[in-house]
Amino acid sequence: MILKTIMKTLTTLLLTVAVAGLAAGGARAQEKTATINISIKDHKFQPAEVKAPANKPLLLRVKNLDATAMEFESVTLRVEKVVAAKSEGTIRVRPLAPGRYKFIDDFNQSATGELVVE
Amino acid sequence: MAIASNALRAASTIVMLVACVAGARSAAAQSDPSAWPDIETKYVFGYTEGATIGLEGEKEVSWETSARFGKMGGHYTATETKLEFEHTPTQFFQFEFGPLLASHDIRNSAGLTDTRQFGFGGLFGELRFLLLGRGPESPIGLTVSVEPNWRRIDETSGARVTNFELETKIAADTELVPNRLYGAVNAIYEPEWTRDDTGAVTKESTLGLTAAVAFRPIEPLLIGAELGYYRHYDGYAFDTYTGDALYIGPTFYLKLTPKMFMTAAWSAQVTGQDVGSAGPFNLAEFSHHRAKVKLAMEF
Repeated sequence: MILKTIMKTLTTLLLTVAVAGLAAGGARAQEKTATINISIKDHKFQPAEVKAPANKPLLLRVKNLDATAMEFESVTLRVEKVVAAKSEGTIRVRPLAPGRYKFIDDFNQSATGELVVE
Repeated sequence: MAIASNALRAASTIVMLVACVAGARSAAAQSDPSAWPDIETKYVFGYTEGATIGLEGEKEVSWETSARFGKMGGHYTATETKLEFEHTPTQFFQFEFGPLLASHDIRNSAGLTDTRQFGFGGLFGELRFLLLGRGPESPIGLTVSVEPNWRRIDETSGARVTNFELETKIAADTELVPNRLYGAVNAIYEPEWTRDDTGAVTKESTLGLTAAVAFRPIEPLLIGAELGYYRHYDGYAFDTYTGDALYIGPTFYLKLTPKMFMTAAWSAQVTGQDVGSAGPFNLAEFSHHRAKVKLAMEF
């Protein structure tokens, strides 16, 4: 009896999360994506502080102007992407709440920056 | 005994080596914690899991050995090693799977047959769903996970069995002091079905509640402590309570390189009760000590 209740609660929870995720995904697809440009040159992000609108899906366009590969990584954005030397990578990010989101070049962790969402 | 001694000796050597690496790295590390990179917390709390699920696109392979020492008299050492592949395909979901290797070294332990063996133990998987991501969006991270396991060797006795276990867990964590101090709690429900070689079927379940803190004295290192309380039942639905156990122990996490880390944890049962026995510990369902070591590489 208790097991059934637990399984029912767990199933309901997972289904709710799945439905909420699908609904959020559908709603997100209808929102306009904001494109944010970030470059890295001489192993430094340019600009090191980038502004982005809150509650909108984002497309981060990361240009690597250096002669070596870099990896854009952010624990709070929950993304990582290797960008080859002298090339460009794009990363899709969910709509974000206002705040400051750190990012780094994981291949050279002295290169840091922040996405300021407001 | 030899297997356990070798494993502990190897673990000690690794810990000493990585401590040297940590010392060297810390000298070069920035001293201002606000400049430190954010850390993924899933593995920093020992047996307790943090709520992060990795970064979208991240893949990881790891080796993780969990050992249990001490049962009812004699000598008892059992280990289970997970060879794990982990992937985070989206910002909300992570999965992992791999084979299990099991070893048992049992001599003169009451109720158990003497055994000394090592072999393929089964398969495991894990699905993790992020409900709340910690950061500017929320001060608390919250994750639900389910971990199905199939085992061909009994975890406790080492006997040939068919065993299915489903560990379900809710993990929550938070940053108590930015970049310095983290805390986590887990709630666990683990039903299990086992058929032994005589055809007899056992149904059992375990409830667990764990809590841990981890302090980051230098950028690549976290040291902490955790507390775990477990209750064991016959039947899936808590039909008959058979005993409980409380564990306390230290935890260790070290980022060796930006793409490699290791963790270690050890816990001792400080109190426990086995229904039907008067001892200060519950060694029928739980071991006296437990330890684990994990080495992981992201790519």
